[in-house]
Order: sequence, then structure tokens, then C-alpha cells
Amino acid sequence: MPYHEFEVSRCIPERKKHAVVKGPGETLADALPAGYLNTIPGSISERGCAYCGAKHVIGTPMKDVIHISHGPTGCTYDTWQTKRYISDNDNFQLKYTFATDMKEKHIVFGAEKILKQNMLEAFKAFPDIKRMTVYQTCASALIGDDIEAVAQEVMEELPGVDVFVCNSPGFRGPSQSGGHHTICIAWFENKVGTVEPEITSDYVINYVGEYNIQGDQEVMQDYFNTMGIQILSTFTGNGSYDGLRAMHKAHLNVLECARSSEYLCNELRVKYGIPRLDIDGFGFEPLGNSLRKIGLFFGIEDRAEKIIDEETARWKPELDWYKHRLQGKKVCLWPGGSKLWHWANVIHEEMGVDVVSVYTKFGHQGDMEKGIARVEEGALAIDDPNELEGLEAMYNLKPDIIFTGKRPGEVAKKIRVPYLNAHAYHNGPYKGFEGWVRFARDIYNGIYSPIHELAKIDISRDAISTEGGFKTQRMISDVNLPDEVKNDPSMRQYTGAYDSLARLRGKTYPVFERTGDKQVAVEMATAE
Amino acid sequence: MSCELLQKERTGVINPIFTCQPAGAQYASIGIRECIGIVHGGQGCVMFVRLLISQHLKESFEIASSSLHEDAAVFGACHRVEEGVDVLLMRYPDVKVIPIISTCSTEIIGDDIDGVVRKLNEELLPTKYPGREVHLIPIHTPSFVGSMVNGYDVAVRDFVKYFATKGEPNGKLNLITGWVNPGDVSALKHLLAEMEVDATVLFEIESFDSPTMPDGNHVSHGDTTIEDLQGTANAIGTLALNRYEGAKAAKYLEEKFAVPAVIGPTPVGIRNTDAFLARVKEMTGKPIPRSLVIERGIAIDALTDLVHMHLADKRVAIYANPDLAIALTEFCLDLEMKPLVVLLGDDNPFYEDDPRIKRLRENVDFPMEIITNADFWELEDRIKNRGLELDLILGHSKGRFISIDYNIPMVRVGFPTYDRAGIFRHPVVGYAGAIYLAEQMANAIFTDMEHKKNKEWILNVW
Amino acid sequence: MEQVMNQRMEQLLDHIMKKCLWQFHSRAWDRERQNREIIGWAGRVLLGECDATPPDPLDRCHWVDGVALVRAWRERFPWINTLAVDEIRALMESLHARLDFLTRTGSLNAELTDPHY
Repeated sequence: MPYHEFEVSRCIPERKKHAVVKGPGETLADALPAGYLNTIPGSISERGCAYCGAKHVIGTPMKDVIHISHGPTGCTYDTWQTKRYISDNDNFQLKYTFATDMKEKHIVFGAEKILKQNMLEAFKAFPDIKRMTVYQTCASALIGDDIEAVAQEVMEELPGVDVFVCNSPGFRGPSQSGGHHTICIAWFENKVGTVEPEITSDYVINYVGEYNIQGDQEVMQDYFNTMGIQILSTFTGNGSYDGLRAMHKAHLNVLECARSSEYLCNELRVKYGIPRLDIDGFGFEPLGNSLRKIGLFFGIEDRAEKIIDEETARWKPELDWYKHRLQGKKVCLWPGGSKLWHWANVIHEEMGVDVVSVYTKFGHQGDMEKGIARVEEGALAIDDPNELEGLEAMYNLKPDIIFTGKRPGEVAKKIRVPYLNAHAYHNGPYKGFEGWVRFARDIYNGIYSPIHELAKIDISRDAISTEGGFKTQRMISDVNLPDEVKNDPSMRQYTGAYDSLARLRGKTYPVFERTGDKQVAVEMATAE
Repeated sequence: MSCELLQKERTGVINPIFTCQPAGAQYASIGIRECIGIVHGGQGCVMFVRLLISQHLKESFEIASSSLHEDAAVFGACHRVEEGVDVLLMRYPDVKVIPIISTCSTEIIGDDIDGVVRKLNEELLPTKYPGREVHLIPIHTPSFVGSMVNGYDVAVRDFVKYFATKGEPNGKLNLITGWVNPGDVSALKHLLAEMEVDATVLFEIESFDSPTMPDGNHVSHGDTTIEDLQGTANAIGTLALNRYEGAKAAKYLEEKFAVPAVIGPTPVGIRNTDAFLARVKEMTGKPIPRSLVIERGIAIDALTDLVHMHLADKRVAIYANPDLAIALTEFCLDLEMKPLVVLLGDDNPFYEDDPRIKRLRENVDFPMEIITNADFWELEDRIKNRGLELDLILGHSKGRFISIDYNIPMVRVGFPTYDRAGIFRHPVVGYAGAIYLAEQMANAIFTDMEHKKNKEWILNVW
Repeated sequence: MEQVMNQRMEQLLDHIMKKCLWQFHSRAWDRERQNREIIGWAGRVLLGECDATPPDPLDRCHWVDGVALVRAWRERFPWINTLAVDEIRALMESLHARLDFLTRTGSLNAELTDPHY
């Protein structure tokens, strides 16, 4: 039986089609969890809404924009300071959020007037910012305010100002994924092609579906810059509004989180003939291959190889140190969407852990296809999990660690399962070669924390050791390791800095002369 | 040179201080044992509030959603409440109390949640769950009215209104704490225990500071029982500590069951704690024992070490839930500090007539601004563009970047305080709270002096 | 012989499934194109039938994935370097058919036929 029935969900039979165990010899054509269906009320699902998918996940990482939500303040407050998408613009997008503060009288008489006033006030408070996004909420959608018309008025009144409107109320679609879709299509239809960029390289990409969680984008940007590739825009982490209006001029769309933004790449391919290249920024081999492919596309593979060689030499000994100690550890890979497939195979291959379960809160069947294809036999795949199913899965699978969100992490804590934040990371970035070692380090620190040993002791019943007042992680992790591994001088623990981005910011890059198809590195710009 | 009550002049909100009503109702609901609320609205209305609460308390709590989807906007979504209640009851056999908490969307659509509750009580419950004790309680908290503060107030009233049942006098005091932390409840119960007063505490949320147990099966929940709520009608009186969070319930009990209601004080600081004990004494006839005289003495002793040398004249900005913000302001004045800006993050029309605010306006002799309907920009704009200088900020974590960007030390207080460890565990009420707050403030200032090399050597001898 | 060929095809397929993403574009027509083009390029690269970078960007993107596949296969599955031309053609054909079945014609993904992105 490939479909998996949870004991706790026997009374809601429709849940049965949402979970699958990858059986021996079974393929995607045998069983696939249902996905992106309306949530069962009262099930205590972990899903968010389409407003947060549009505003919070995709819109807000844009760094040079006033982000206004048209509705009561709750939507704005609740989606403020709950993510770690940083930027090199002093984190403006994290620090400031704007709400039109819709009240009862506006529900009755309309709120277009206060929306306009709000927009003017916001531009006045931040005179250096000339770009704005306005997000519809449930309330403004239901009363039918014409946000587009107000945006037009404001643009006419304030020359030099540009406003993007996203109509993605919370109830639009089964989950936040509905919002990803709406904002991608809206951006494509209304903003792409409205700015002509300055092209500074023969190799021009959009980096799509990358949200700069703890600096992921900046790590990848470093590689692209080193290769002499111009990043026209990043959708949307650390991205600028005008850069994203110029997406149509890229030669290649490099797509990371297909779940949230493949729509955009597909439309760009159809309308502008820009190819879509799906990549993995996580893991040595997938990342290396991704850089190689981009290099190959542009005929500059040697530049990719150079990065891969240097980074591998620097970081592989550290990854291996962790791999030996994480071998066979059971992991529940329970993120929101794309990380289930980004990580499923590579954490098994490069860190030695066994992925015993994958789930997705808001993914579609396509994400499950990718995820199930990448896990080993026996893994349990769950679509739109709920609280009780998550608990049942943990009791049955007994994972050594789970990768999920902050709040479900608190549920796991109570049953003494350590968790790592899959959405926002513990101590990221996790992209890039160094980032991948940071991830391994975080997993190691999670699994081998002495606190987890202590948590299992019942002092009223168990024998209590009076020998020794401490344990180190290595006293736990190295117990069964052979001496040659324990003492192997070629491997070492992570040696990077707490803030691995500091050395990237302000870095200068080689300047490559533009000579048509053949590029020659002429000089190295002076390092700082 | 005096205290002014102002209102934010801008229409919109730049960085909100409060979230909306349903969040308050949800926070109240988790205080009840065997209770899982259903928020009737989009999933975000629950998912983010659960996240917020879990960020604050580092615990997870169960709250369900009716998961409003597109068709609801056209056809209404009452059926999703019905389905939600059924699913919840089937899968959570211990659940007895299900508040149905409305939101902006379902109030605009006009879903009749009272009607749904009636229907469920007539059809689903007797047929599918005969003999099972289930309480369905509609709570109207449209997000476009008031704030999370009202939402909490409304929910407490609705829970009390639903359950309070006239019976034999129980000799107990109802203590409605308002929106507080587990540490506050412990401190309040300690004070009552010292006075040998038997109280029904709404809500028993000490358990929010919950253990990880060796058997690994703990689920965090509040501990106020249905019997506690029923018994509120039979108390000797109700003491609601906060005017804006719980007073509605106290007044209801007074009007309906003639249980005398006393509103306030919010027992932050020595003076307000004294007044709290005086109220308890008045209502119960129990004397204030010597043990509390000693406890108070320890607090006075601790504060004396700090006030005139270190805290006097320090300029403070304060924002928090309104009762807490006002009580903190009063406490700061007792500590010789100068609260220059007090931000109340909603448009409650009653602030104008709040006797505490009146008293501030009559007596404060330096320029203090109390700003209603405030957002964080009211504070930041004053610092950035209008020359406001501060020595300290008192408030919750959402304002953290003002402290960081303008180099002003900050003491985390209120809800939410996710960017500091364990704040929820410490009381700000009672004598213990007075010590904790004053010492936190002093230590924040000391650390800041050291970072800025601003007379840091003064602490060499102290 | 057929069994050997089948095992070999399954090895190549397993590699695609675990390491690649291009076969899982969101719509059936995209998957049809991706599978056809990329397996097509991989076959031509294996047979030494293409030595220049394709000038058209869309072609080049497919070619890139084809080249990447062949490199990985040659490293992981040394037997592939010993095959005759006909064997490679047959192998690619069966791989393409199987991949098309798993990702497209036999896929249980209900969104593949949605007419919009």
C-alpha cells in the first residue's frame, strides 16, 4: 500500500491521499500525494494564506521599496519581523512595514481615500524611496477597493514614483502558494519590460526564486560576480525594484525556488525567449554542477571550475568531518516547499543522513514528484501535514532531528526531537560551499547537543551518573568512530566566521573585457 | 511644560505596535484547559498568531482555522466552521471548549457564527457526539475594530459570559489578570497566597512556561478550567487588573450576578502593588501580612540603590499594551525617571477619560507626550527628525530596530519579547516585578555606558 | 541482453531523478519538450555528433543539461563508454520513453494539463 493512512486521521479519509510511502520498486506513476488542495478546516494545518505568500514571502525581500498592505493592521504586523531575508540596503525591507489601518467606517464607505493618503504619507516619511508595492488583503478585496486606480493617481501626482499593485487576498487559493502565483504573474504583466537596464557584461542573468535568507543571495552573487556575470535582477531577495522591471533583458533565467517563481520563468521564456535553467545552490556537487552549467551556457566554464576548485579545497575537509559524524542519522525534512527537493538527495549523499520523511506545507504535486524522486525507499511523504500527523510521524519514525519552521520546532522540542529552522535557518547562510558546511555544523550541533541526552533522563527513576560534570559534543558523536577517522588530520570542524557575509560585502571583482564572444580577464581589480 | 494627550495625525501606520483583534482572542483562548479555538478566516490569521505566540513563549499552542478559501468570498463559509468543529472534535477527544473567533473577512462576508453555533448545538452535537461536553462560543473580533487589546477584552468577557453560572457563593476572589506573562501570574498568585486569599485566576497561564519531560509527551496549554469559569458568578468580587483587558468581564459579572467589580490598579511598581494589596484586603477582609512587608522592604531597598544615583532624570520612551504602558509610566515617575513619550497603539476613545492619564496630565511638570493610535514612526520620527533624545526605551520586540539604529538601550517588556531570552518567565507585577524592572533598566543603562564609554568608570565604586 | 540494457537504462534514469530538475517542469508540454531536447542532446553528445555550442539560447540551455548529463554518466557509469552507436541510440530511446512515462504520460500530477502557468 503506497498511500499512508495516519491513525490520527482515520476519521478524515480524504487525508489518506495526501501521504505516500516510497515503496521498493515503486515509481511516481504508482502513487503521488494530492497537493495544493483546499485545507481541511479544523485540521490544524501549518499553512499560511495567499496574502502572506505574495507580500511576506515574495514582495517584501525587495530592498528599496515601501511595502504597504491595504487592510487592517494585523496582516502587516503579523508578517513583520518573522523572516530572515536580509539585504545590503541596511535591511530597510525588514525594518519598515506599512499598513493603511482600515477601520469599520472604511469597510462601509470604502477605503480608497485613506489608501491614497497613506501612500502620500509614506513617500513623505521616506523621501529617498520612490518605489512602492501595495498589497490587497481579505478586507480590501471584499469591499472592492480599486487599488490600481489609486496607484495611477499617486503616480500622476508624484512624478518619478512607481507603484506595483498585488491583488492577492488571504483567501485566494489553498495556501501561501496562491500568493506566489498571483504576484509572479502580476509582476510579469505589469512591471517586466518597463525599464531598460544598462548592460555591463556579455553574460547577463536573472537570478529567480532566491530570497536571500541569511544572505544566500549574496553568497551566490559573489560567485556570479567572480565569473563576470551581470545579475540583472534577483527575484526577489536583496533585489531592487527597477532591476526586476528589467528582467526581459537577461540572457538566462537561473531558477532556484521553482515552487514560488517558476511561473515567472515560464512566462519570460514564452514572451522573450529567455531560457530557464533550474539549479541547486545547496550542496557541493549540485552547486558545482549548477555553476558549471551556467559557465557552459556562456562559454566561461573555466571561471566556474576555478571557483569550484578553490572552494572545494577550502571547505571539503570541513564537510567531511561532519559527514563522518552524521552518517545514518535519521532526518525529517519538513520545510515549506522547495527545500524538500533541494535537500532530499544531497544531504544523504554529502552528509550521510537518511531522510526518513519529507513534507511540504504548501507545495504542489510537482514538488512532491521532485522530492519523492530524490529520497531513498521507505521515506514517508506528506502533503499539507497537520499537528497530529506530524506528532504521529515523529513518534513512529524517531528522527534524530527535523528541519522545519519555528513553531513546529517547539512541538518537536516537547517530544525531545531537536529541530533546525528550515525556512530561516539557524546559523546560515546555507547556500554556497561554506554555507553547506554551516548547515552540516548546525545539524551536528543540533543532534549532538548534550542537552538532548539530559532531556531523556528521569531523575526519579533512572540511574544518575555522578561521574563527570560535563560532556562535549565530541564525547557523544565520536563514541563509535574508528580511531583513523577520529584522528584524521585531513578533516576539521568548521573554521569560518560567525558572520560569513562580512568578507563578501565591499569585495571587488575581476573586470573582464567585453570582446563579444571571447572574454579575457585583463586585470584583477585591487582588492580592498 | 506638561503632559499632553495627542493623537497620531497621519492616516496610516508605519510599523504597527499592536496586531488586530483576533490575535487577542487567540491569546485568551489558549489560557483555557481542553480548549482549541477555531479562527474563522484565512489561514494566515492563525498561522502567524501561533508563530507570534511561539516566538514569545518558545512554546507551541493549538489553534485551528476554518481555512477560508476563494469560494467563501462569494458563497459564505459557515459550512467550513461546521466542518472544522467536527474535525476538531473527532481528532481531539479531550477538547471541550471551542471558541469560534471571527476575523475581518468573515465579518465582512456576514457569516452568522452565532447561527452556526446554534445549528451545531441542535444537529451535530446531539447526533454525533451525544453525552460529550462541548461548548461552542462565538467571539466577534473583526480586525477592523480596535486592536489585539480589545480582542483580548472581548474574548475574556465572552468566555465568562458563556460559562458563569449562579450557584452557592464560593468565597473566592476573581482575579482577571489581563494580558500578562506566566511570570506575572506566578507573582500575583504568590501575593494572594501570602494573604491567604483563595482566587480564581483568569487565566491560569503559569503553565505556558512548561517543561520538557523525560517521557517526552508534553503539550503546552493553559490551566483555567470550565469549573473555574462557571464559578466566577459566585465569587465575592472581581478584581480586574487592567482597564482595557478584562474589565468588560468584571463589569458583566457585576451587572448580571452582582459580583462587585474593582478595576485596577495594574500592579506594576511599588505604589500600584500597594494599591493592589489594599484592594484585595478591602474585598476579602484579609490583612496584609508581615511577610509582604518584608518583601516590599527588599524591593524598596533594591530600588533605593538605583533611583537617585542612576535612574533619576533618565529620559524614557514607553510602548506596550495600554494598561502596562500607563503603569510603567507611573512606575518610572516613582523612580525619578522622565517618560517623555508614551505610545498607545490603538484608537480607543476611552483613553481621554482614563483617570490615570488625567492624573498624569494634571501633575507631570516636564514635556511628556502620550500619543494614541500611535505607530512606531511616531517615536522614530521624533528621534530622527525632531531632536528627541532618549536614555532608554521600554517596550516589546517589534520596536527593536529603533533601539538598534539610534543606539538607545532598551528593556524588553510586554508582548511580544522574542528577541530576548526568557522575558516571559519574569514578572513585571508585584514587588518582585518592581525589582526586576528597575534592575533591568539600570543594567541596560550600565551596559550602554560601557559600550559608549560614557562615564563607565563611575561603576568602579558603587 | 535486454535485461542488461534495461538495468543500464534504470541507472541513467535514477541519476536523472535524483540529480536533475529539468524533467519536472510544471506543465506536460514543457516536460515533453525538456525530455525530448535534453535526452536528444545527451544522445548526440554521447555519439560525438555535436562539437559546437548551439547558437540559439533555448537550444543551448538544453544542450547544457545534455552535456552535464553525459559527463556525469561517463564518470558514474563507465560501461557507457564501451557502447556501440546502435546501443547508445537504443538506450537513449528507451530512457526517453521511460522518462516520458514517469514524468508525463504516466504522471499522477493533476496540474500538468492546466492550460496556464
